[in-house]
Amino acid sequence: MILAVLFANSEGNILVERFNGVPAEERLHWRSFLVKLGADNLKGVKNEELLVASHKSVYIVYTVLGDVSIFVVGKDEYDELALAEVIFAITSAVKDACGKIPTERLFLDKYGKICLCLDEIVWKGLLENTEKDRIRRLVRLKPPNEF
Amino acid sequence: MAQPLVKKDDDRDDEEYSPFLGIEKGAVLQEARVFNDPQLDPRRCSQVITKLLYLLNQGETFTKIEATEVFFAVTKLFQSRDIGLRRMVYLMIKELSPSADEVIIVTSSLMKDMTSKTDMYRANAIRVLCRITDGTLLTQIERYLKQAIVDKNPVVASAALVSGIHLLETTPEIVKRWSNEVQEAVQSRAALVQFHALALLHQIRQNDRLAVSKLVTSLTRGTVRSPLAQCLLIRYTTQVIREAATTQTGDRPFYDFLESCLRHKAEMVIFEAARAITELNGVTNRELTPAITVLQLFLSSSKPVLRFAAVRTLNKVAMTHPMAVTNCNIDMESLISDQNRSIATLAITTLLKTGNESSVDRLMKQITNFMSDIADEFKIVVVEAIRSLCLKFPLKYRSLMNFLSNILREEGGFEYKKAIVDSIVILIRDIPDAKENGLLHLCEFIEDCEFTYLSTQILHFLGTEGPKTSDPSKYIRYIYNRVHLENATVRAAAVSTLAKFGAMVDALKPRVFVLLRRCLYDGDDEVRDRATLYLNTVGSDGEVIETDKVVKDFLFGSLDIPLANIETSLKNYEPAEQPFDINSVPKEVKTQPLAEKKAPGKKPAGLGAPPSGPPSTVDAYEKLLSSIPEFSDFGKLFKSSAPVELTEAETEYAVNVVKHIFDRHVVFQYNCTNTIPEQLLENVTVIVDASEAEEFAEVASKPLRSLPYDSPGQIFGAFEKPEGVPAVGKFSNMLRFIVKEVDPTTGDVEDDGVEDEYQLEDLEVVAADYVMKVGVSNFRNAWESIGPDFERVDEYGLGPRESLAEAVSAVISLLGMQPCEGTEVVANNSRSHTCLLSGVFIGNVKVLVRLQFGIDGPKEVAMKLAVRSEDDNVSDMIHEIVASG
Repeated sequence: MILAVLFANSEGNILVERFNGVPAEERLHWRSFLVKLGADNLKGVKNEELLVASHKSVYIVYTVLGDVSIFVVGKDEYDELALAEVIFAITSAVKDACGKIPTERLFLDKYGKICLCLDEIVWKGLLENTEKDRIRRLVRLKPPNEF
Repeated sequence: MAQPLVKKDDDRDDEEYSPFLGIEKGAVLQEARVFNDPQLDPRRCSQVITKLLYLLNQGETFTKIEATEVFFAVTKLFQSRDIGLRRMVYLMIKELSPSADEVIIVTSSLMKDMTSKTDMYRANAIRVLCRITDGTLLTQIERYLKQAIVDKNPVVASAALVSGIHLLETTPEIVKRWSNEVQEAVQSRAALVQFHALALLHQIRQNDRLAVSKLVTSLTRGTVRSPLAQCLLIRYTTQVIREAATTQTGDRPFYDFLESCLRHKAEMVIFEAARAITELNGVTNRELTPAITVLQLFLSSSKPVLRFAAVRTLNKVAMTHPMAVTNCNIDMESLISDQNRSIATLAITTLLKTGNESSVDRLMKQITNFMSDIADEFKIVVVEAIRSLCLKFPLKYRSLMNFLSNILREEGGFEYKKAIVDSIVILIRDIPDAKENGLLHLCEFIEDCEFTYLSTQILHFLGTEGPKTSDPSKYIRYIYNRVHLENATVRAAAVSTLAKFGAMVDALKPRVFVLLRRCLYDGDDEVRDRATLYLNTVGSDGEVIETDKVVKDFLFGSLDIPLANIETSLKNYEPAEQPFDINSVPKEVKTQPLAEKKAPGKKPAGLGAPPSGPPSTVDAYEKLLSSIPEFSDFGKLFKSSAPVELTEAETEYAVNVVKHIFDRHVVFQYNCTNTIPEQLLENVTVIVDASEAEEFAEVASKPLRSLPYDSPGQIFGAFEKPEGVPAVGKFSNMLRFIVKEVDPTTGDVEDDGVEDEYQLEDLEVVAADYVMKVGVSNFRNAWESIGPDFERVDEYGLGPRESLAEAVSAVISLLGMQPCEGTEVVANNSRSHTCLLSGVFIGNVKVLVRLQFGIDGPKEVAMKLAVRSEDDNVSDMIHEIVASG
């Protein structure tokens, strides 16, 4: 299960948070934990360089993309490698939606489109799509190219 | 929290304009009215939906009324033919997850989209419908979903398959009907469809071992296109291997498949296969080598995720096969400086497990630099690894102990400090040379310790170990300082520790008493009470008197009763004329459930009492037996066994028996359950044949008047046996009853019954039934205090055994004693092992056992058994148990 996908700006403010199967009372804890993890480790990290951590039986893969930090949390079959796949799908879709590495402003401008992309990539905690071209077409309700 | 978690737009005046600047829920809900316009503006509507999404994605919630209003308004947007807007609408409906009574508004629109000619409408409508639907609606759309699973458009197929995975949780009976379609989808040429179909098919069939095995067999022979699906296949394959391993011998099935996956082009698959191989049960070095080789390559990968995955897996392998990992040590040493601290910590702890004696000093140097910049939770892992290393190489205790004492002085939270203190305590206990040095480190620590818990625990430990050192007086200063400088809890603990020094070291007694007398004026009553108690019991008025052993035992002796048991007994004690009798507390340590025993990371506790079990059922048994008049004069219950099954699982009547041991009697408690709804049993008895138990004579039995369906009842049988003798024997049992037919619908019972019998398994009373599991907190001390007077030592050949661990657990269960200090666990591949057991023999005789095992090439196990007890007969008896077992 992919437990959470979270986007934050460089100051640790939340831009998008989507939880799956995480009780409401634990979400705040997760949010602060992830933001702190980012604040501790993401300084000076190159765009899209993946960082990884595990907290109890849960894995976290996170990275930075322009002004935005992205965190993906998973457990069981979504271990660090599966999450790397998920975050790769997310970063390429976000870059694609924004046309380049996003500034915070650009990210917010394309907010609706990014939400649609996320909807195509992760659905209720399961990975659904991974390729950016396909995702780009799907959010416009176009069938995938290879079809 | 490092950063304030305020909304983006609240906290700064952006020089850049944000599209969501000043966004407010109320205003956005107002804006949502545009959804009701007769002339819809798709662009504007999309913008409003984006704002709503922004609010929801930031954790904002809508009230029930707000959500309903927005939901109804959004459904109006189905009128628009704008594709972008439609996509947003699908997302919005999912986000709002409308309640069951609202769903109806939108189902017809979604059903229309679901049968639409536009594939993408179909895919999205399926996802939305499955998200919001319930069982009844699902049966209506099931036909379309089955078609969708085999749709030629992969997006539609995936949508239906992923929906299936989610629906399996709520309506499994419906989804299970789709197996044929899902099976077909597994063969799809589209990678993701194959991945989703495989996941769903496995979930549908996960309880059918044969089906999973067939699935794995067919897919491992064919081609799987998606790396993700290949990973799933590897996982399912290991599951099949695990289950097959118990029944098959010779070559491991599917190993070749796993090995071939190590050469796959996708890293994800390579890693999954490598990990699967390392986790195989009883993996051999030959099987392990190729997996370790690929993991070693990953260690120097440029991708942190791969490095992390590899080092994490190697870390696990190092616990069971440290030698297999040593080849990777050089690569791992370079990871100590990895920017990612998780990777560095894992590398360090792996190195600590695989390192040899000569590399310890070099490693410690590297770790010292590293400790300052990691968080407490990582530090704890390192401390625990160092503790194990020190126990492995006791000669290196000096440098390791110095390291521990240095980090003890640095900043850190409670858990971290506790881990260090626990480690030092364990090292002191296990490495005699480290004792004085370690105690001084602990003394220095309590001089400036902010944690009351740790201070009191250390003071207690000092009281036990300090007086036995060569110069006990040097600890007094540290202890007495506590009386001046600390809070009442610590002061009270310090008083007790001082008293122990006074009682155990005659030379110090007069001086300690001077100090204790000063404590009589302490501001806290507990401190004053303790000082008074010790002064009046251990000695008085400055006179040095010979302290009575009884007094010492009373004040400082170990409790010898599991704390959980004493807690339960105290809770059950009702204020009465009769005072609470500590001898009435059962001493039996209940075995912990298997799952708990296997819990990873469970380390032997450093400080405090020996591990105690959960609240015991001994109390319940005692109450039950004392309520039966026939057994009331049997005296005090010595021990109750765990239930022994006398029937197979899932038979008509389920019977198990608990053996209750008294001094002169044994009571069998047969717990019976009738599992047939159409039957009522009456006059149920157990006919016991004791012809193979010559020393036992039946004295009483208590039948069960009636045993209705599914409501357990008990039958008792009591036997007399010679007093204090561990008589053994075999009993055969037959259940006899009158069976009456019952109409399960009305519950009416027929008047006439038929007499019937039911054969049960035989029951044995064995020597282990006369030994009670009672742990000791410090085996070495207990062993020394019993002394060698009644020590009996002998050697035994145990013959060929499957493994050393199997031999150890067989002897433990034969003796029925409590393993101490975690010695029941045998390290993998070890050739020798020492196991320490303690218990109380019937007649309340303490007995300790030291078992030394060795195994040679053809798996022949030899054992040296040393027994010490308070009675030579008991020592001999233990040898007899082993000799005849």
